[in-house]
Amino acid sequence: MTRPLLETKFYVPRPRRRLIARPRLIERLNQGAESKLILISAPAGFGKTTLLAAWLAASPDGRRTAAWLSLEQSDNQPTSFWTYLIGALQTVAPGVGVGALSTLQSTQPPIEVVLASLLNDLSALSYEIVLVLDDYHVVDASDVHDGVVFLLDHLPPQLHLVITSRADPPLRLARLRARGELAEIRAGDLRFTPDEAATYFNEVMGLDLEAREIAVLESRTEGWIAALQLAALSMQGRRDVADFVAAFAGDDRYIVDYLVEEVLQRQPERIRGFLLQTSVLETLSAALCNAVTRQDDGKAMLEALERGNLFVVPLDDRRRWYRYHHLFRDVLRAHLIEERPDDVAELHRRASEWYEQNGERPEAIRHALAARDFGRAADLVELAWPALRRNRQEAMLRGWLAALPDELLRNRPVLSNAYAGVLLVSGELDGVDARLRDAERWLDASEAPRVQAAGIVVVDEEEFRRLPGSVALHRAGHALALGNLAETAKHARRALDHALEDDHLSRGGATAILGLAAWAIGDLETAHRTYAAGMAGVQRAGHISGLVGRAITLADIRIAQGRLCEALRTYEHALQLATEQDAGVLGATADMYVGMSELHCERNDLDAATQDLRKSHELGEQSGFPQNRYRWRVAMARILEARGDLDGALDLLHEAEPLYMSDLSPNVRPIAALKARVNVRQGRVGEAVGWAREQGLATDDDLSYLREFEHITLARLLLARGSVPEATQLLERLLRAADEGARNGSVIEILVLQALAYQMRGNNPAALVPLERALRLAEPEGYVRMFVDEGPPMAALLEAAAKRGIAAEYARQLLKAFGKAEDRSAANQVLIEPLSERELDVLRLLGTDLVGPEIASQLMVSLNTVRTHIKSIYTKLGVNNRRTAVRRAEELELLARSQSQ
Amino acid sequence: MNEGGRYEIRIQGHLDGRWAAWFDGLSLTRESDGTTVIHGSVLDQAALHGLLGKVRDLGLPLIAVTQAEPKQMKGIQR
Repeated sequence: MTRPLLETKFYVPRPRRRLIARPRLIERLNQGAESKLILISAPAGFGKTTLLAAWLAASPDGRRTAAWLSLEQSDNQPTSFWTYLIGALQTVAPGVGVGALSTLQSTQPPIEVVLASLLNDLSALSYEIVLVLDDYHVVDASDVHDGVVFLLDHLPPQLHLVITSRADPPLRLARLRARGELAEIRAGDLRFTPDEAATYFNEVMGLDLEAREIAVLESRTEGWIAALQLAALSMQGRRDVADFVAAFAGDDRYIVDYLVEEVLQRQPERIRGFLLQTSVLETLSAALCNAVTRQDDGKAMLEALERGNLFVVPLDDRRRWYRYHHLFRDVLRAHLIEERPDDVAELHRRASEWYEQNGERPEAIRHALAARDFGRAADLVELAWPALRRNRQEAMLRGWLAALPDELLRNRPVLSNAYAGVLLVSGELDGVDARLRDAERWLDASEAPRVQAAGIVVVDEEEFRRLPGSVALHRAGHALALGNLAETAKHARRALDHALEDDHLSRGGATAILGLAAWAIGDLETAHRTYAAGMAGVQRAGHISGLVGRAITLADIRIAQGRLCEALRTYEHALQLATEQDAGVLGATADMYVGMSELHCERNDLDAATQDLRKSHELGEQSGFPQNRYRWRVAMARILEARGDLDGALDLLHEAEPLYMSDLSPNVRPIAALKARVNVRQGRVGEAVGWAREQGLATDDDLSYLREFEHITLARLLLARGSVPEATQLLERLLRAADEGARNGSVIEILVLQALAYQMRGNNPAALVPLERALRLAEPEGYVRMFVDEGPPMAALLEAAAKRGIAAEYARQLLKAFGKAEDRSAANQVLIEPLSERELDVLRLLGTDLVGPEIASQLMVSLNTVRTHIKSIYTKLGVNNRRTAVRRAEELELLARSQSQ
Repeated sequence: MNEGGRYEIRIQGHLDGRWAAWFDGLSLTRESDGTTVIHGSVLDQAALHGLLGKVRDLGLPLIAVTQAEPKQMKGIQR
């Protein structure tokens, strides 16, 4: 961040020269420094900032180490807010938050990940810091509040937080109060007492007021400091102080209005004019004021105002930047609108020009919009886009673009395209097409930019040259988001055709999208290579885009290719990088663990698989990408299935179904098909048949990669129904397609089914042919459940294979794995309705001291699920309480099996 | 629920007529009890909260916010 105004955001205000000593409040603050949070909550004009400045300067052992952040409207969103907060901390602790900042600016991580990194850094400090967040009332975005609550919950002892606000912020204050972790200073505390008012008027301001007059002023203003200051200013140099006090007391007008008018009336015309004109500014410098007033006395004016205590507040040490006190400025603005309404737009325009010339584009844009000079604002937004895009500050653009009239945007292709890009990034797919069409109108038949077109407005020439590639890239992204693969590939290729050599962003992005499209049509080797290349390109452009960037995508492709070892390496590598670089840079860690769980499950290491899911669960439901909640449940279902708990697996799949969120990877394992497989395994063929009908699946379908999983499932269904010839025909066709695409994961499964089909026709020797190929492909990758899931029929084939020396070692290892899965306690068979695996798990825990919620946590399910299981257990055992259930279980020796599951 | 309507915001103190522009062109009525009522049509809830924010930022003591009954509706069964 190189904005020159940055310094002013972090500036720690110096204490004022002429100050009332307020030892009572200073003492409150000293004590409050022991708490997590000091909150100073009072309306404008109560001296919050003045008090803090005095306190920070007066600390017993020299200045406290204080960091300051002056918040503005534009900080009301997470990226800006946290970026500036870390920036403020870095003014006193340079190494802090470096990892957090890079995470924040790369993917769109959950804020807890960013803050965890920051909190770690803070915990390592050897000194304490006070961080002041000034004007917190400008924040009303709930996600920012949530982050601050998280920060407060985990605040290390090295950091003390002070928040000033004009309204109580929604930061769970009641809870902090109850725990004694909150120190508060409110308006009632900040008001000047009559004694303080007396000191102020007579000693600080050199007036000579009588006690009675002071009492009247104090009563009328209720100790409101800003009002007292204005009153003092109005009385300085006046002979008729008594008249003033009397008039003031008898007036009902809004105090600030009345007093400011009094003050204004007594100013020479030049000063009055200066005050009104510069009231349009948020911050003032001599040069900026001159630009706005078209005079050259800015410096002298500001110094005079500061000397006269006329409500200018310095924002840095070198007296370059000031601002007016909020109340004062608001009244000035109201006067300006009333007295010189036609001047307002012009004043904003002058400010906008000055800011642009001095390299402060966001300010220039704000003033242009305030001037309602939309043409100018549009020009500036167009120029601002590339930098904002790189820094992932699209949200800022979103607000500005929304303020511009549509007719204006239609002639500005670069801006229309930018708008489309911003909408895509924020997931607002509806408006994208219209904006892209607006941009495309300005491309000719060969899709080159129509440079000579009449009526076109282009400000950023370079972006204009990039336009064809950029528009095509946005179209590709849009098509992908809508699931339209053919369009996606078409547009991505167009983007590559049109993109300039050095446009890494467009080229990388288009390449990555082509990778995803290749995946969807089953060309997996191309998909992996292309996607990886695309991501490298995007990173070279300095972007680490959240839309398409996930290591998990590459691992998924490897699994589909049957290359489990490489997939596992991809996960492990990503996890290692994530821990090295402060979690979050490469996408959420939670997703990696779920992916690894699936691999461990396939290799029949069910303990490791469960551990992986536990680790993922501990990272919290919110910490993965949105799709993780779905994937976690599907992975858990797979583990349950491996342990023989088919009902439990179905329950989880059912839970997972509504959680499916379409991300940009193809949905190659639809949940309906997963459920159908479990049904087939349970012998509930009717339901599976229903599924096939619903999906419109038939054996003579054209085959496509997207439906491969479903068609294989259909083949299983056919075998389960005994329709062997049909199944065989389908399997043959599937095998050819899978071999063509080198999709070994599918090839192995198809070969296994072919072997079983032969077996069903009584031709065991023939079965060994596909089985041998399957074994040879599977052995180096460590597949286990692929075979073991097929049960006793497969066991028989494996024995035959071992006897004939076909992959004998491997076959024998697999045979060993069969033993575990079918080990059901004999006693469980005695019950009319045996307990499921899950129910046995619960029953086991009922024999311990754990209460319901703890059992739920241990098993990683909801409390409701546990209750359902318990009800079922009681019914099946014929009991109605916990102790009896456990006793009955012992009698039946239900829990005598090994704990190794 | 997000509809606008006619609202009255009552604050302590008298506000000069010049402030009408500040409050999005609503009307200001100074009452004899030393309060001022800011009243008129408000677009929606967000606009209402925006107005209340302005009241807050001017340091005007807020007394009451009520939804005004349109005068024509008096006596009509709902």
